[in-house]
Amino acid sequence: MSTPIAPPPDASLPWASGPYSIKRHGVSLTNCDSEPVQTPGCIQAHGALLVLRLSDLAILQVSENSVEFFGETPEALAGRKVESVVGAEGAARLREVIDREPIERNSLYALTLPARGAAIALDVCVHTVEGVAVVECEATGRGEEDGAVDYFRGVKAAVGRMQAANGLREFCGRVAEEVRALSGLDRVMIYRFHADLHGEVFAEAKREDLAPWLGLHYPEGDIPRPAREIFKRIWIRPLPNAAGPLVELVPLANPDTGRPLNMTHCALRGASVMYSEYLANMGVAASLTLPILREGELWGLIACHHYTPTHFPYRLRAACEFLAQVATLQLKSAEQSEHLVYRLQLDGVHQQLVAKAARDGDLMALTDRHPSLLDAMEAGGAALYHRDRWWCAGKTPEPAQLDALAEWLNTRPDFASATRPAFVTDSLARDYPAGAEFAAMASGVLAVPLSRARHDMIVWFRPETLQTVNWGGNPHEKPLVTGPHGPRLTPRRSFELFTESVQRRSLPWSTVEIDSALRLRMLVMELVVTRSQRLAELNVDLTRSNEELDAFAYVASHDLKEPLRGIHRYAHQILESAPALDDENRTRVEGLMRLTVRMDSLLDSLLHFSRVGRTTLELDKVDLNEVVEEALEMVGARRSDGTFTVGVPRPLPGLNCDRVRVREIFSNLLSNALKYSAPGPARIEVGYLAPGETGPRPNAPAESAGHTIFFVRDHGIGIEPRHHEQIFRMFKRLHGRDDYGGGVGAGLTIVQKLVQRHGGRVWVDSAPGAGSTFHFTLPRGETPTLP
Amino acid sequence: MIPGTILVLEDCDEDFETVSDAARRAGMTHHLRRAKTGDECVEILRQGDFLPAFVLLDLNTAGGDGRDALRFAKSDARLRCVPFVVLTTSANPRDLGFCYDDGANAYHLKPVRHDEHLRVLGEIFHYWLRAVALPQKYEALTRNVDSSPR
Repeated sequence: MSTPIAPPPDASLPWASGPYSIKRHGVSLTNCDSEPVQTPGCIQAHGALLVLRLSDLAILQVSENSVEFFGETPEALAGRKVESVVGAEGAARLREVIDREPIERNSLYALTLPARGAAIALDVCVHTVEGVAVVECEATGRGEEDGAVDYFRGVKAAVGRMQAANGLREFCGRVAEEVRALSGLDRVMIYRFHADLHGEVFAEAKREDLAPWLGLHYPEGDIPRPAREIFKRIWIRPLPNAAGPLVELVPLANPDTGRPLNMTHCALRGASVMYSEYLANMGVAASLTLPILREGELWGLIACHHYTPTHFPYRLRAACEFLAQVATLQLKSAEQSEHLVYRLQLDGVHQQLVAKAARDGDLMALTDRHPSLLDAMEAGGAALYHRDRWWCAGKTPEPAQLDALAEWLNTRPDFASATRPAFVTDSLARDYPAGAEFAAMASGVLAVPLSRARHDMIVWFRPETLQTVNWGGNPHEKPLVTGPHGPRLTPRRSFELFTESVQRRSLPWSTVEIDSALRLRMLVMELVVTRSQRLAELNVDLTRSNEELDAFAYVASHDLKEPLRGIHRYAHQILESAPALDDENRTRVEGLMRLTVRMDSLLDSLLHFSRVGRTTLELDKVDLNEVVEEALEMVGARRSDGTFTVGVPRPLPGLNCDRVRVREIFSNLLSNALKYSAPGPARIEVGYLAPGETGPRPNAPAESAGHTIFFVRDHGIGIEPRHHEQIFRMFKRLHGRDDYGGGVGAGLTIVQKLVQRHGGRVWVDSAPGAGSTFHFTLPRGETPTLP
Repeated sequence: MIPGTILVLEDCDEDFETVSDAARRAGMTHHLRRAKTGDECVEILRQGDFLPAFVLLDLNTAGGDGRDALRFAKSDARLRCVPFVVLTTSANPRDLGFCYDDGANAYHLKPVRHDEHLRVLGEIFHYWLRAVALPQKYEALTRNVDSSPR
């Protein structure tokens, strides 16, 4: 049997030299943590207490109100046998109970003393502790004598209803309702301790006119450690009249041992002044408290308040005690079913999210719209790092702060664990000082990595507890009347003292939540793996079909050219071998030859175009001025050769592009500009407009914003606006086949394709007679590639 | 004396006639030996009764194409020194790469225009028969063949 916890005596305490008594010493705010709550020296005055020597049941100590209950003074009773108080029959019954029943530290009802003259009927309970028997007598009261109230039936029905509850919250709700139904008290709360020992009104049953306290949180200090320790040892703590008087034991110390009585298990134990004042400050006149334990630890309390002094008869206490024990036994399974419900809810939403991501083909679905990562987990914000950026839902730190946090997370071994890769904290700033910046919205962090290579991850944020919970004694509420110790003993004041201890801390993450996050991680990774496999397969297919197309284009052009060459040859021979051919037939044969040549160029263009879209770009540092020079040579033009001038007013910028293909863009545009020049010397201009520069951007598509716009301008014949789209179509010619130097009409189509390959757009600004300006952008060339 | 031989792989009759035209115009005395398929070309080379001055090769022919003939000849110790001149419609960079990788000595595009076709052939004949010196052993081999009993 363990000895009750007793703090080492402190010589400075007023009761250091002798036994403690609440009445004599009380406590002050400075020493209340050392208060010997187990040996208060006093009992509540509504009952009487006798301490008996076990061997002969002689009275060692007796409460000072003995005259009122037994008609004799403590001094008169001292040393006498218990028969003198309970009679021979009662003494025999007590001896029987002491010898046979399990009453060590467990008070049991022994007998009822009938009313005798002025003395009222008394219920007598007894338990043993530290070598003495403790006899507690209380008025039977309230029609209890004839057992009018059938507690057994009530308890039986209550237990049935409690067991039918679904999940923890509903279970606790039922417990509160049943205890209230049984006791008739004004308010019954299930007060649950959190991991940081602050408490929450988790369930409540109350008189209708009272303000609800459900959901309110109270600081740890409101139920101090000594009180919590006692509740691990006792099953019930009645205080029927909190403001009622206290009576001392006479003498204060056991004359046999010189030690004060350990009253831990006494129903009559006098309450700490601090506690009764705390209750009084809330307007509470009576309280009944029962613990709910979980694996030997205090999980919570059944806390009952009554607003008028009352009476808790033994049978009522026993019934409530029984319910509390059932609650303790049932708690674990209720908790498990609660976890199961939460787990199913989390996994359900997460599976929906992954299914949606699979449908959309993108993980971004996790943070936008509903459901999102926030619909399952109880969190204030969630952030997904994917495709090199953050996708956020709810309240999260800024992207720069997220970047820094992610960098730090990636250095942590727990984040790279092979079995449970996750970082979990309810106080980020403790491990990661920079987290203090956003402690209000994100003190709690639950993070799981998705891909180590690309640093993808999901992070949930839970705000600081201070920000989220409803604290009992909200500072904005008007305080109630305060007792002699001032406002310290009100929830409001204790809240203020407590805030510091919960700063930068969130409610902790439960195992259910962490497990669910890890399962979500697996689902997402499976999805990513499946998708990358499919992409790889598609890629193989695409490469194969590209190769086939390539081969087809060459073979087709080869096979088409062979007969063409034969036709051209025969036509040629006809012309050579028949000099006498009349003019008409000569023209026809010449036409035949011209058509074969034209068909040859069409085939070449088609082949070229089919390759432009498929060959890989070779990006490299390119001086565009050189490229334009080369393009001019290709189209057979020199600058300022007399019939036309090509001007480059300012040097073109360097680009990181495919030199050969950009040269083709320029050569096609320059060739067009020369071809469609107006009569007389032609002027062509090649230039650009940098992103920040102001300047006209006629017809510029929105996508061109923020990019360098290149242009080739002529002062030629121009193009009607209605043709501005058509000119980019394959083999589309606006003029007769042989006008303006002929051509197959593939140049601009190829230009468009090449520009698109560089991620850009090409467009024209032109009107008949006003010349044409072709504009294009090359965004891919603007991003420098890594060496 | 049997004049030198040029082996021509060409499946198209019109194109082979153009080769003959061009040879006549160039005033060549060489014999043109025609193969219509790659297999036939390989067979002629394998028989070994003569070595051509050079081989004029079309790539895309039926029944084992010019590529097979090129690969066969360039992996054979006796035939390796025979120049292979490719004349084809294919502008596919892969074909170009393939041919030079496998030891082709020149690669020409076959034009559709007849006059240009003749010009290209004329240049080929001029270059390989007049402009460059070919290994002497052809002469020796040819002589050996010459003096062999019928």
